[in-house]
Amino acid sequence: MIKSLSIIIMCLCLTVPAYSDDGDAILQKVDRNLNPEAFEMYRKLINVEPDGSKKEFIMYSVKKGRDQIASVFLSPASEKSRATLRVGENMWLYIPNVGKPIRITSLQSVTGGIFNNADIMRLDYSAEYNCDKVEKREGLLLLHLKAKTRAVAYDSIKMWLNEKKLLPSKIECFASSGMLIKTLYFKKVQDFGDGIVRPAVIETDSPLHKGYKSVMIFAKIKNKDLPDEVFTLNFLSRVESLR
Amino acid sequence: MNKTQFTFGVYVMGLFFIFLQPAFCQDEYQFDLSEIEKEIEKKPYYLGGFLEFRPVVFGLDRNAAFYKLKFFDQDEGATQEQYNFGLRLEGGYQKGIGSLYFRADGLLWHDYQGWDNDTVLQEGYLSLKPSPSFTLNTGKEVVQWGKGYAFNTVAFVSRPKDPDDPTEALEGYYVVTADLIKSFMGPLKTVALTPVILPVTEDINDDFGEVDHINFAAKLYLLLWDTDMDLLFFTGESRSTRFGFDFSRNIKTNFEIHGELAWINDFDKKSIDSQGNLSIDESDILRYLFGIRYLTDDEITFILEYYHNGGGISRDSAKNFYRYADRAYDTFLTTGDSSQLTRASNLSKGTLTIAKPMRNYLYFRASWKEPFDILYFTPAIFSIVNIDDQSLSLTPELLYNPITNLELRLRSAFLIGGKNTEYGEKLNDYKIELRARYYF
Repeated sequence: MIKSLSIIIMCLCLTVPAYSDDGDAILQKVDRNLNPEAFEMYRKLINVEPDGSKKEFIMYSVKKGRDQIASVFLSPASEKSRATLRVGENMWLYIPNVGKPIRITSLQSVTGGIFNNADIMRLDYSAEYNCDKVEKREGLLLLHLKAKTRAVAYDSIKMWLNEKKLLPSKIECFASSGMLIKTLYFKKVQDFGDGIVRPAVIETDSPLHKGYKSVMIFAKIKNKDLPDEVFTLNFLSRVESLR
Repeated sequence: MNKTQFTFGVYVMGLFFIFLQPAFCQDEYQFDLSEIEKEIEKKPYYLGGFLEFRPVVFGLDRNAAFYKLKFFDQDEGATQEQYNFGLRLEGGYQKGIGSLYFRADGLLWHDYQGWDNDTVLQEGYLSLKPSPSFTLNTGKEVVQWGKGYAFNTVAFVSRPKDPDDPTEALEGYYVVTADLIKSFMGPLKTVALTPVILPVTEDINDDFGEVDHINFAAKLYLLLWDTDMDLLFFTGESRSTRFGFDFSRNIKTNFEIHGELAWINDFDKKSIDSQGNLSIDESDILRYLFGIRYLTDDEITFILEYYHNGGGISRDSAKNFYRYADRAYDTFLTTGDSSQLTRASNLSKGTLTIAKPMRNYLYFRASWKEPFDILYFTPAIFSIVNIDDQSLSLTPELLYNPITNLELRLRSAFLIGGKNTEYGEKLNDYKIELRARYYF
């Protein structure tokens, strides 16, 4: 009996968080490691179907602060000049020639495939999530993140971090029911210059779409001074002129 | 090939294109940043566009008023086909703070009247952007205002969009526009002012309104409490003065509401009496719309819009017109005199032949993005209901992008309505259309 009780007490001790650091502070460091405060970048998005067929998109994006991001498609030709803007939870899509931007939601996907708008126009994680718990598991740091509001695309996130670099290696995204929606795998850490060292590839799959995969490859991430006026509806049709 | 075979052929061809696309098997993706950097290298110019092929079959309604007006002395049978070939070219050039942009459409079509063609410069303007907070454009440009999806009541300086195809690009007007933007911290995040000068002469913008006048319009945009709001006005001698307000807001991430309200002074309100006489009464009118957009967990998007046009044709006037057209046709059959039919045809222009000419409409659309894990495939159905006479159009649609830059759309529009109703008296009972676009 005493032996069993000792084992239970030992197990309980092992599940106590290994880190007393403020999880939210770690999350903010992760955000800064993934990108600077204000920057531009190019991304190639690849949707891979079970039969191996692919569709590729190239986007140019600018981001400033924790919650402002604007993107424009450079290719393919059928999507060229489509632009998206996100300011906090407000999201718009501009379709050239149609004129006025329309409001869209984080759950939709402007590209199809597994990445939704929340993934493509991602804000800082610390802008949308609080860290509930920090653990050390399998040699990695595990952050349990909970959405600050119900407006956030994923109700909770498990973020697996490289402890030294404080860069994610895997992120699991859950619905409020606890169901796993998708998993993001961060790969191929690259030095982009300007002190920006981060994974250049994010792969994602989803148990809801078995056999499908989407990939995001980052290129030319650079610090860039950007006025707030860039992140407005009126400027949305002109984002490409910032290149 | 007879017309029934042709109709069937278009449908089968559409289904073939949409569902039997071969799989384009390729290797796993390659990670090569230098290759991507080559792809994203910026050039000062670009040229693109699309090629389009669009065969259409119309199922004619031989008892409808507009059939009688058009084909009173011809027998066109039960169906008509039309083949449309299109080329869009668009391009731009950027140097420093200046840039040039153009978009032009070339169209070639064949229908019961034979071959015809048209070329239109849809947009072409010079843009100066000395800073992100100031832009000045001059040339032919689409200035699309409003928040509505199918309708717009505050689009004071643009051509009306087609509610049956509201995302299609429009032709612009020759204008001078500016954009002044200012961002703030706090609940008011953005203020933007867009003034517009729109001249109307015999050479440019002559279809806008009365010629030899310079018109002014402006839009003040606010992003306030996470809500898009616009205050708008138009004044000038080419059209009467009008004021507008619109808004759009996400109530939840997957639930958006929007609305538009326009007050138009001294509008020429048209009515038709039982003898087919047109009378015009100048009065102030109100146009408004209210709409929602809702996205389900299964990625089904519902759009619902109610549109009120205070300057529209009344139900009684519409009935008077259809009865007059019927009488004119009967006169032709008994006497061979087509003058009343010609008069009815002229009467319909500017009254019942314009898009959504009556007073109250409901637009509904449901589209399901990538159902059953079929990537880039979106089936949809939409309906436009004329609330005044309870007639409607019902249009199922399949949209598919099987390979990069190829877009296929198959749709069938069914027009449903009784005698003396808008959709019941249209030329067609149904329309089947395949549209194949290849972007380059």
